[in-house]
Amino acid sequence: MNFKYLIIGGGVAGTSAAESIKTTDPAGSIAIVNDENYVLYSKVMLSKPNYFLDKIGSEKAFLKTPEWYQQQGIVFLGGKVATALDPKTKTITLNDGPIRNEATDSQANQIFNGASQQIQYEKLLLALGSTPRKWPVKGADKAGVFSLRTIDDYKEIKEGLKTTKSAVIVGGGFIGFEMCDILRTFGLPVTMIIREPHFWDPILDPISGRMVTEAIDKGGAKVMLNSEVDEVLGTEKVENVKLKDGTTIPCDLIIIGIGNFCQMDWLKNSGLEVNRGILANEYLETNLPDVWTAGDSSEYSDVILEEKVQLGNWVNAQVQGKTAGLNMAGKKIPFKLVSSYNTSGFGINIAFVGDVGIKPDRIIVERDEPIEKSHVRLLIQYGELVGATAINGMDELTTISKLIEKDTKVIGLEPDLANPNFDLKTLLPKT
Amino acid sequence: MRIEYVRNKEGSNIGKIVIDRDLCIGVASCVSVDPEMFKLDDEHKVIVINPDLTDDQLITMAAQSCPTQAIILFDKTGKQIFP
Repeated sequence: MNFKYLIIGGGVAGTSAAESIKTTDPAGSIAIVNDENYVLYSKVMLSKPNYFLDKIGSEKAFLKTPEWYQQQGIVFLGGKVATALDPKTKTITLNDGPIRNEATDSQANQIFNGASQQIQYEKLLLALGSTPRKWPVKGADKAGVFSLRTIDDYKEIKEGLKTTKSAVIVGGGFIGFEMCDILRTFGLPVTMIIREPHFWDPILDPISGRMVTEAIDKGGAKVMLNSEVDEVLGTEKVENVKLKDGTTIPCDLIIIGIGNFCQMDWLKNSGLEVNRGILANEYLETNLPDVWTAGDSSEYSDVILEEKVQLGNWVNAQVQGKTAGLNMAGKKIPFKLVSSYNTSGFGINIAFVGDVGIKPDRIIVERDEPIEKSHVRLLIQYGELVGATAINGMDELTTISKLIEKDTKVIGLEPDLANPNFDLKTLLPKT
Repeated sequence: MRIEYVRNKEGSNIGKIVIDRDLCIGVASCVSVDPEMFKLDDEHKVIVINPDLTDDQLITMAAQSCPTQAIILFDKTGKQIFP
């Protein structure tokens, strides 16, 4: 079987790509291969309190319906995993697992008929997403240990919560923060175990980290910094965690939030150039002919930051998918976006804009409020803003995004930038 | 808090666009889909620039792209059509 456009990954990047291909080449055949047997849903929603507390119906996470794929003429192959790419014959091999397809079952069965396991493409998009990093701790395979990435993970955690008496969260990042907030709203005792000396080190600085930790403390959860789990104890189900300093914490649910990685082992023999992600130029083209990448899995040449960047957030994946789709259908559009992500919980907001990586050639200017109600850090490279982190600094995010996008020169302006009373909007180019 | 924008565009099936500011987390996916219709305000939440602009398909795609479903669409009879 063959398709003009084959998309590996049915998340927001892959689905946006299919959508944009349809606007440019409506007659071109498209298939989306998705390892999960679900149509597009919001991974952002999975760790939001309103969703977890059933204030929003569980079906609301789904952003497309099975009918949508049929109406668009997009073949959706759910529950199938790509296992090999041969760029010479332009073939993708899929696993031989059963086809369980809620979207377009009849189409899928016609195509595979239980036998064929290879699909040929004219143009291929690798929108692979990312997978939670494995927690390399003895006993981590016990029942009651969860990560949160998929809707199935969400369902398992929700089920587990019915009998949970106390919980441990491992890792100081967005998932840990959001899940800690949710578990507290369930009234559970929660302990956060963070290996680093402050929350989200090194992306956040010690002041920001302390503000987050204090908010979590006030919310009734215990944060243990500089701490690492040595072993998960229990018979079949988790009963305690033992820390490296010997402390034992009773718990019957553990949520791991220690970061994600891109699963690319299956591409090893394809000749595809990879680093932490799949390497791509500004058009999201890889080194292989007619192969593009988008979303969490792409490590692309960023035209604003002028360096290779890999980001894992919703709007980045969405716009990359759209750009890659248009380029697959014959356009030549560079991907350009200043993406941001933020979260709220425990009465505090944490936000990131642009590239917030700490690098030797970057300087950081802190915009401090005297009483530390908010804390905004501006990252500057080669005299231009490249990113920012903000605690309770939402009101400046939109302006900061624009300043980054417009390549605004801020050289020599550091004293102004550090003054919280200085209006950043005055730096925007006059229109 | 919800902000309602009545749409009077001729030929449009969408009669009202509602932004749920409690749900909006400023991802700006809608802005990337339909920048003529949506933008972020000073609180980094989405607002509608002019409800009579752009076409229904684009507005619907923008609403569908929101990962927290903070954009709610109603038809001319007041019936919710998304989500």
